[in-house]
Amino acid sequence: MKNSISITVICLVSLLIILSSAMREDGYGPYQPDPIRMEVPKGWPKPSVNIFAKNKLTEQGFQLGKKLFYDGRLSKDGEVSCASCHQHFAAFANYDHDLSHGVNNAFSKRNTPALMNLAWMKEMHWDGAINHIEVQPLAPLTNPSEMGETLDSVLYKLKQDTAYKRMFKAAFGDATINSQRMLKALAQFTGSLVSANSKYDRVQRGEASFYDYELRGYNLFKQHCASCHAEPLFTDNSYRNNGLKLNRFNDIGRQTITNLSSDSLKFKVPSLRNVQVSFPYMHDGRIYSLYQVIDHYRTGIDTTQSTLDPLLKNRIPLSKAQKNEIVYFLYTLTDSSFIKNPRYAPDTKIVVKNPHH
Amino acid sequence: MIKKGYHYIKRISILLFLLTTGMNLLGQQKTGTLQIRFMHTAGNQPLVLRDSTYINPFGESYVVSKLKYYIGEISVDNRKLVADSNDYYLVNAANEENSIDLKIQNGTYNTLEFLLGVDSTHNCSGAQTGALDPMNDMFWTWNSGYIFFKMEGSSDSSHADLQRIEYHIGGYKGSNNAARKIKLTMPKEENFRIKENTVTTIVIETNLDHFWKGKNDIKISEMAAWMSPGGFSLKVADNFQGLFSVKEISKQP
Repeated sequence: MKNSISITVICLVSLLIILSSAMREDGYGPYQPDPIRMEVPKGWPKPSVNIFAKNKLTEQGFQLGKKLFYDGRLSKDGEVSCASCHQHFAAFANYDHDLSHGVNNAFSKRNTPALMNLAWMKEMHWDGAINHIEVQPLAPLTNPSEMGETLDSVLYKLKQDTAYKRMFKAAFGDATINSQRMLKALAQFTGSLVSANSKYDRVQRGEASFYDYELRGYNLFKQHCASCHAEPLFTDNSYRNNGLKLNRFNDIGRQTITNLSSDSLKFKVPSLRNVQVSFPYMHDGRIYSLYQVIDHYRTGIDTTQSTLDPLLKNRIPLSKAQKNEIVYFLYTLTDSSFIKNPRYAPDTKIVVKNPHH
Repeated sequence: MIKKGYHYIKRISILLFLLTTGMNLLGQQKTGTLQIRFMHTAGNQPLVLRDSTYINPFGESYVVSKLKYYIGEISVDNRKLVADSNDYYLVNAANEENSIDLKIQNGTYNTLEFLLGVDSTHNCSGAQTGALDPMNDMFWTWNSGYIFFKMEGSSDSSHADLQRIEYHIGGYKGSNNAARKIKLTMPKEENFRIKENTVTTIVIETNLDHFWKGKNDIKISEMAAWMSPGGFSLKVADNFQGLFSVKEISKQP
């Protein structure tokens, strides 16, 4: 009997210890994250690397990432958020801006790329400088002509906000705010931006059909463009010189990163999904319309460049009618369910304080 | 019946307790503490940041304002350490003290090895924390990867803006890998012994004279600022081994 009492006491004490540690009150409630499973769209390859393997995707992490993405406090003047240049309605590119604008009315030297299907992207930036989605935000955050901030200062600002403490706790288990958690949360938001429901996709799934001119455009596209803009992502993630002249910033692209002269003037092949709304085009936004882009490939390519992609050495022979048909096909890559998805929109209305941005 | 059940549970728990503690004892090797301590010198003097002027082996005077570098993958006599040897440490000359404490199996050892830099896995695995937190200002945000070794200051011989010197050395990809395995062999008759309840300290001298003159000559007048992987980073990296030497081995009970 004595033994049974002592065992009962031991059991009770350990139960109490477990309970009290679980209920330790930090004022932000219990930690109950809701896991999200990221689906691979039908017919798509699996991403070569699972970006969420060491960053467990949860609803709470996604929501925190979204709040950070739309928060101007990530910049020095408090007004430039990620979303200032990555606009939802432009597939997270910068609508009608050749170069992005940062703090102090500074211009960057590159065109803002669209953000979608990043989980299938091995490297970021036009020159492939960034090797992981989680460290990507460090570049615009610290660049003086973009957000011009320091990590110390951003984290200081976030720590003043109890809403953030609550959301970091909800996403990561306690209210600690640090750079790793901030970057992982941002990656949960940006890595979840999947665009796979354009007319093209519905046609592939047998839910819609192309008009004749779109189909002719699709066939021309497969013949002349798809070796670089490979389906279904419409990029092969390679770096190529498409025969644009060196720009005023002497931007040599990929060579900056590899130090190889053979990489001079090579830039990342961008995805063409939502290309209709992500104008202007090219790494410096020098071309404003899709017709002009195709004209570049028809007649504009500088064939004297030594690193010009071999596939382009004879330019791309296309008639004017064929040019129109390809553009009609490209319009079928617009995914309105993506660019209007309320899940990706900010929870509170954006107030535009500075109309120049 | 209930009483019998309690007895049964009690016996099983005692058995489990004995089993687990027994296994723990068997699996446990006796360990002691190895402390690695870095001290920084230039021109046979202790390095003082900002205030002192030093002369490099080429007669160029310079002042150091910042000196930071990563140490990782520490091992003794090719043996794995008990502590996680994947950890990285950021040595910073601005710290009052730079010491790393490691649990090591008892024994007598002759060599100490570590990586100066960060391995490629840690360079491309996303956001890190601790010593590798990008807050430490040792990460290239425009070209993902860690700066392995950072020295900043000024020199009359510098042709850079404001006569600054700024060496940010790093790079992890293929032939541009600037991380270097450093091997230090203890002086004759001075193998170090690790015993339990004892702290054995190895003081490593990081002598900047050898930054300038080692396998390669680094002259301020020729290159005062470099902040990217490849090229000059590799030239500096080949001098890394010579930077370090064992200054002292001491034991504290």
